[in-house]
Amino acid sequence: MTARRIDADALLDLATEMLRAEVLPALAPEQRYAGAMIANALEIARRALAEEVEAAEWSLLDSLYEEGEGSTAQLARDIRADTLPKGKAADIAEALRTLLIAELRVRNPRFLASRGIGG
Amino acid sequence: MTMAASSRPRTLDPANLDPLQRWLASAVEASRVEITRADLLSGGAVQENWRIHAAIDGGPRAGTHALVLRTDAVARLPMSLDRPREFACIKAAHAASVLVAEPIAECADKSVIGAPFTVQRLLSGTAQARRIIRDPDLAGFGPALAREIGNQLARIHAIRPPNDALAFLPLPEPDAVGAAVAEMRRALDKASEPRPALEYVLAWLLSHKPAPRPTSLVHGDFRTGNYLIENGQLTGILDWEFCHWGDPREDLGWFCARCWRFGNDALAAGGIATRADLLEGYNAASDAPITESELAFWEILGAARWAVIALLQGQRFLTGGERSLELALTGLMPAEMEFDALEAIAALEAGRPIP
Repeated sequence: MTARRIDADALLDLATEMLRAEVLPALAPEQRYAGAMIANALEIARRALAEEVEAAEWSLLDSLYEEGEGSTAQLARDIRADTLPKGKAADIAEALRTLLIAELRVRNPRFLASRGIGG
Repeated sequence: MTMAASSRPRTLDPANLDPLQRWLASAVEASRVEITRADLLSGGAVQENWRIHAAIDGGPRAGTHALVLRTDAVARLPMSLDRPREFACIKAAHAASVLVAEPIAECADKSVIGAPFTVQRLLSGTAQARRIIRDPDLAGFGPALAREIGNQLARIHAIRPPNDALAFLPLPEPDAVGAAVAEMRRALDKASEPRPALEYVLAWLLSHKPAPRPTSLVHGDFRTGNYLIENGQLTGILDWEFCHWGDPREDLGWFCARCWRFGNDALAAGGIATRADLLEGYNAASDAPITESELAFWEILGAARWAVIALLQGQRFLTGGERSLELALTGLMPAEMEFDALEAIAALEAGRPIP
């Protein structure tokens, strides 16, 4: 999965960059330690979050393709061309929903809560 | 990241309003126009909106008026009309008795204030979606507001081609849904992030195309946030730059799409009332009534369309080199619309009404 996407990594990278470049220098001295800790926490979260969505993706792909051979790009192409492996296509909508839930747990848990899906 | 107001280029110079006053006097057939105030309104990094107070002597508009002067946008979104074309759509809507800010004059001559501009009457009211949706009196005024909005939409949709004043709008292809899906697929092909769920939704749309309706003028961005209300009453419909010929149900589906309810999920019509309220107003004023069950397809199409737009905004961050947190966060939103679309499809396939 080499596609470029806005994942937690890209987002936290930019947020941390903005924090360090624009916010931390403007903080009062007594707030700088808290600011530095926030920057650190963002870096740690960045490493942890990326893994969850990938796990959900692999679980979906491995249910449709020979192990290790699928990719989300391939899946997108197969859905458009209606060439999903027969017999495995039936549950595709449910599998996609599961993948979206994994994405949304990272991207917007409040949205999921508004749709009746808890953490 | 938004530009600070002070760094935004300005055209109108409140210290030198003479050229504008002279031009406006001629445009409204007045003997003299005096602009007593000119304030730059907030919002719009790529265009300017000025509120001006004008005292008009003589002519059919003699009196004092609060007006809005808008310059053309420096950068436009793909598919959007430039200001003169948007103004032509507003004029057509005004002529069809749609509640819009009365179009008064347009100026293509850059020498007057430094950029082309249009002048409309200033409308009062708020367009802020969250303020409308959280109004404590919403339960009281929401249903009537939705009926009025339905009535207004029917008036817009009664404008049909051919129409000489709108001859610049291309007629839709015979298979308008097929063309819309093809366009969204081309956009997806340009994105670096595959979205299998969105592909699934697009394939579903193609295989569930409804029979077409007669072509109408479609507002193109008709949703809560793009109309003004005051004391619970509709005062005007805004943002006409996505106007096009198309299927009238597109506007109704966009209005009801789950992503435009701003948290009032149970009130499907823009977070203000039920679909039945909206359609009651629409069908009372339209010669081509629409049923609630017809809307589902167009709500799903609306979700897909917003997902594609959000994905493209994210691409500007990912591959376009724009280091904007706002673009990046918008680029994360397609999953939400995809989720809603999958839920709606699942409901339809189980024979249930969509959320």
